[in-house]
Amino acid sequence: MSVNILRLAALLYTVGAASYILFFARPIHVRAARVGLWTIGLAFVVHAASIGVACKQFGGAEFFNLRGGFGALAWIGAGAFLLLQRLYPLPSAGAFVLPLVLIAVLPGVFGLGPDAPWSIPQSIRGPSLTVHIATAAGGVALFGFAFGVALMYLLQEREVKGKRFGALFSRLPSLETLDRLNQRLVRSGFVVYSVALLTGALVAKKAWGTSWSWDPQQVTSLVVWLLYGALVQLRHIGVRGRRYAILTLAGFILVMGSMLAMGAVPQVTRHGGNFQ
Amino acid sequence: MREVFLVGLSHHSASIAVREQVALEGEELKAAMGDLRSRQNVQEAMVISTCNRVEVVIVAESAEPARRFFLDRAAGADGHLYEFHGSHAVRHLFRVAASLDSMVLGEQQILGQVKEAYGLASSAGTAGSVISRLCNRAFATAKRVRSETDIGRGASSVSQVAVELVEKIFGNLKGRAILLVGAGKMGALSAKALASLGADRVLVTNRSRARATDLAAQTGGEVRDWAELAKLLVEADVVIVSTGAPHFVITHELAHATMKSRRHRSACYIDLAVPRNVDPRCASLDNVFAYDMDDLQKVVHTTKSARGEEALRGEAIVEAEVMAFFAEREARAAIPVLAALRRRAEDIALAEVQRTLAQLGPKLDDKGRKSVEAMARAIVNKLLHGPTARLKEAASSGDSALPGAAAELFGIENESAAEADRPAGAAAASIVVLSEKR
Repeated sequence: MSVNILRLAALLYTVGAASYILFFARPIHVRAARVGLWTIGLAFVVHAASIGVACKQFGGAEFFNLRGGFGALAWIGAGAFLLLQRLYPLPSAGAFVLPLVLIAVLPGVFGLGPDAPWSIPQSIRGPSLTVHIATAAGGVALFGFAFGVALMYLLQEREVKGKRFGALFSRLPSLETLDRLNQRLVRSGFVVYSVALLTGALVAKKAWGTSWSWDPQQVTSLVVWLLYGALVQLRHIGVRGRRYAILTLAGFILVMGSMLAMGAVPQVTRHGGNFQ
Repeated sequence: MREVFLVGLSHHSASIAVREQVALEGEELKAAMGDLRSRQNVQEAMVISTCNRVEVVIVAESAEPARRFFLDRAAGADGHLYEFHGSHAVRHLFRVAASLDSMVLGEQQILGQVKEAYGLASSAGTAGSVISRLCNRAFATAKRVRSETDIGRGASSVSQVAVELVEKIFGNLKGRAILLVGAGKMGALSAKALASLGADRVLVTNRSRARATDLAAQTGGEVRDWAELAKLLVEADVVIVSTGAPHFVITHELAHATMKSRRHRSACYIDLAVPRNVDPRCASLDNVFAYDMDDLQKVVHTTKSARGEEALRGEAIVEAEVMAFFAEREARAAIPVLAALRRRAEDIALAEVQRTLAQLGPKLDDKGRKSVEAMARAIVNKLLHGPTARLKEAASSGDSALPGAAAELFGIENESAAEADRPAGAAAASIVVLSEKR
């Protein structure tokens, strides 16, 4: 049931992303961006329904594997995109960010739910777990956005510096706009991710009796946190523009790499379900 | 037979020395239009006068009055004049308005200038129905060319390129400073263009303080000491360099040190000097965007060749509009024939109705009379319905033979001129009057 609803959401995400890409390729079609915005809004609602139904079906256990984690990431990412378009309208970013959202949704399309019958132990249930999952996904989603914007920055920088002045030059926003947006996304992502780390420590204490146990997931999360923390600080000593964009790209690649590694290698982390 | 004649000279045919002898402005221009109109056989007149062209459009029997306009003002203009009439004149005016004949293809000013000329001609009372229709169609053509082709796209001058570049780096220049180094003319022009992006301050520095003061007055900037250059570079986000120095004024070392002090906030160096004043190696520094005259001119060149291609599409639109203009005019030309034909038929009907009614006298009651009148009208309408439709159709498809044939067939050509003063439909009205009189 929830899978079918998710498939509908994925279809809507596809249409939305395609509309934004069309708008980017042919900026005359202003309507395409509007269609995209409404479709993504609709996809967000449908996706929410799918998550709600899945929670009823599996009792929240679906968030503990890669598919569910990515799905939550995509949902929060789409929500953040919609919010961003209200606060800071930049429709050309849709062509770079929404494909990422779509990719994150895809694994779930092939079957949603825990890999084995499993329910969350009573001992770790509670608000800190909910907040932990939500903020972890939210932080990563914001880093993903920053990744998209940094990519736009590097493309535009290449045009401006290389004196190319082609189609990208006229369609991408100014470097200053992109740099500032990137900085905001990294900053807010860092704040949200910090909350995820703190609540994670609380959950770990409840599950394993200690808030720090050198679990690989914990270690990589800390590395990611330090990296983005450094990025926030580096801004003050004049790391901006190109270097900042490259570091943002590197940060997100690390995030994705560790996420995939933790999900793909069985038993490498106790995060996947071993809460004894 | 009166026609549209266009005589003129432009940057294509005449040097500025000739153009400035015949160029007119404001009241002078209006007076010249009035003067043209008062010449023999000139029905309508309009003069377009810009720094790149002076053109006279008249509706007359020959181009002579328009030629005289030029020769009276500049005896040497003779060899530089071009002359068009009929559809060629119409095409030329459309091309001018659509900026297909401009020095900078696709520039936007010319349309405004043609509109202004038409406005002056209207207020001087020298633009009649032909020039009005011609101009309105020219404006519509220009609008189509602008919106349906990319002829207005891209930056067509060095300062425009600079503005576009700076816009893509900084967005706008609110809260930022422009620094003008050196007193070159291009530098001042670009600084003025960049000020349109909302820069807070324009700083001007030059080896000779007097020239700097001069430039500062022109650009609304403040003069700074040449010795402070290193400090100024830290302060300014956009630096325009155009000194006469034969060496680099902004060296790689200087730019490097500047970026450090700026905490790597982006800086844009626009070098308009030849030989160059900014070390090209500066461009390799992070967050430094450096351009020289060659870079900017290359963009201008690209724009120009792109516009050249778009101009071909513009020409096709002009061609279609010229044809549409004449089709419309011919449709209008068919109307007098139609009106005359109808009048002739109605006159006959009226006469016959009168005769019949007189013969019948009191034998016919009111209702009977009305029926006879209605019948006469119905016969006229039914008989003329087919020919009317076909004449209109033939005229709008540009076939002028049929209206001529119709006029000849019904023998109405001479009469239509004689009866031109009579308002249309007068015959039909008189049938009504007649029945009321009784």
